[in-house]
Amino acid sequence: MNGKNEIIREFEYFIGPQHPGITGNFSIKLKAKGDVILEAEARPGYLHRGFEKLMEQRHWIKNVPMVCRICVPDPDPNEVLYAMGVEELAGLEVPERAQWIRVMVLEMSRIQAHLSYLGGISGALGLYTAPQWMTGDRDYLLDRFEELTGARVYHIYTTPGGVRRDLPEGFEDRLRETLDYIEKRLTDYYRLIFDNPVFQKRTIGVGTMDPDWAIENGVTGPNLRACGIKADVRIDDPYLVYDQIEFEVPTETGCDMFSRAMIRFQEIQQSINIVRQVLDRMPKGPFLNKPGNPLMWRVPAGDVYVRVESSKGEFGYYIVSDGGVKPYRVHVRGPSMTHGIHVIETLLVGQRVADVSPIMFSLDICPPDIDR
Amino acid sequence: MSLEKEQKVVDLIKVSFEDAEAEIQRERRVKVKVAPNRVFPLVAYLKGNGFKHFVAISAVDWIRDGEIELVYHLWNYDEKVHVMIKTRVPRDGGSMPTLKPLFNQAETYERDIHEFFGVHFEGNEKLDREFILEDWDGPPPMRKDFDTRLFSAEFYDQEDLESEALRLKIQPYKGHLKK
Repeated sequence: MNGKNEIIREFEYFIGPQHPGITGNFSIKLKAKGDVILEAEARPGYLHRGFEKLMEQRHWIKNVPMVCRICVPDPDPNEVLYAMGVEELAGLEVPERAQWIRVMVLEMSRIQAHLSYLGGISGALGLYTAPQWMTGDRDYLLDRFEELTGARVYHIYTTPGGVRRDLPEGFEDRLRETLDYIEKRLTDYYRLIFDNPVFQKRTIGVGTMDPDWAIENGVTGPNLRACGIKADVRIDDPYLVYDQIEFEVPTETGCDMFSRAMIRFQEIQQSINIVRQVLDRMPKGPFLNKPGNPLMWRVPAGDVYVRVESSKGEFGYYIVSDGGVKPYRVHVRGPSMTHGIHVIETLLVGQRVADVSPIMFSLDICPPDIDR
Repeated sequence: MSLEKEQKVVDLIKVSFEDAEAEIQRERRVKVKVAPNRVFPLVAYLKGNGFKHFVAISAVDWIRDGEIELVYHLWNYDEKVHVMIKTRVPRDGGSMPTLKPLFNQAETYERDIHEFFGVHFEGNEKLDREFILEDWDGPPPMRKDFDTRLFSAEFYDQEDLESEALRLKIQPYKGHLKK
C-alpha cells in the first residue's frame, strides 16, 4: 500500500432502518474503505409481526384478512396462495369464473407493483419525475381495485373457495380503459427511464450476478430472468388457469440492474395482455363455493406446498393441517428471504456506497416478507 | 394424468437411498422421509441430479411426538418437479448438520429456524448472530408451548395477572398432555 492510500480509512455505515427508499424498514450494515464496500450485513427484523404464529391461533377463514399484509407492495399473491393451499388440503372445488378473476387480480397487482418498482429505482438514482408519474398512474389501477374489492392496498378479496364478490357492473369497460391508458404511457416510461443517459450510466454493468450463481443461490422471478434464464412459475408449475392463457416470458442477458428494470418494464405489457385475455374469455357462472360455517370448518390433515409467480419472484406457502379448525403451521417462503439477505450481501461487495439503495431496489426486496 | 417424471424422481432416490420413504403426492410434488443424518447426502445427490433450486426449509413443531420436523424443499428447473425432504429431530437438543456447503442461502433459513424453533445447525457460523428477533432471551417463540398472550401479559407487567388472563380467556397450550 502506498502512502497516498493510507489516508483512506475504513468506515462503518448503517443504511436504514428508517425506510432506505420505499422498500420498508430494513437495515444494512456496511464496512467500507473510502466509499468502496468491503463487507455488507443485512439486518431484517424491524417489521416482524409474528404472522405465522398468529395464523396458528385463528380459524382457517379468519386468516384471510391477515395474509395480504405479508407483502405490502404486492399483496394479492399471498391471498391467492393461502386460498390455493387450503383448497388443496380440503379438496374444495373453485368455480371456474373465480379462477379467471384471480388471474386478473394477480396480474393487476403485478402491474401496480412493477410501476412502483420503476418509480422506486429511478427515484433512488435521482430521477424524480419517474416516481411522480408512476405513483400517479398506479393510482388509476388502485381505483379499479377499490371498485372491485372495496380497498386500495390490502384487498382481502380472494378467500378459500373463490372470490368474495363478482365484478361490479361496467367494471370490465373501465378496466379496459385503464389498461389502454397505461399501455399508451409505456412509450413515455421508456423514454423517461431507459433512454436517460444518467439511468444507463448508473445501471448498466452495475450489480451483476452470474446466471449459474443466481440459480444456486435461490434467485427467482424477474431477477433470474434478467440473467437470461427462462423460468417462470406460471409456466413451470402452472396454477389457476395460466395454462390456458397465452403470454410471453421476457428475458434479458445483461444480469445487471438495467436488465432487471427492463424485465419489469416488459412484463407490464405482458400482464396487460393477460388481463385483456381474461376479460375476453372469462366464463359466466358462480364465483364462490362457500366452505361452510367458518367457526366449525375442519380441514383434513395433511401438508401442501403451493407457489405463485409474484412480482418479486417465487412466493410459496407450506401449509400443514392436523385436521383441526385452525392451521397447524403455515410457513411463508418469500422471495426476499434469499434476495434480501444472502444475495444482496454478496452483490454489494466491491460496489460504491451510492449504489446501495439502487441495488436494493433493483432486486425488489420486500422486507415484510423476510420478517413475516 | 401421467406421473412419469415424478415416478422417475422416486426411482432415482430409491436407487441410492434404500432407507428413504419416497412417494408421489400429486403432479409435480414428491415427498421423501429420511433419517436426519441422511439429509445432507440426499440433498447433495439431488443437487447433482438437476435439483439446482433450493427453495426453503420449513419447520413444524410436533409437540405431541416431542419432535420438530424439518422440511427441505428442492425444485428441478428442467424436470419441473418439487421434492420435499422430511426429517425429524428431537425438540430438546435437536441438531442437524448445516447445508451451507451445498447451498449458500440455506444458512439464512437455518438462522431463522434456530431463532424461532431452537434447532441447532452444526457448522453454521452465523447461528449466534441475531437474525429477526432483537434482544430476545425467552423460549423459541414459534414452538407450540409458547403462548403469545400469556407472554405479553407477563412481560408487560400486569398487576393482576389472573384476572387479566380471565378477561382475555387465555389458556396455555396443553394439547400435548392429552395424547
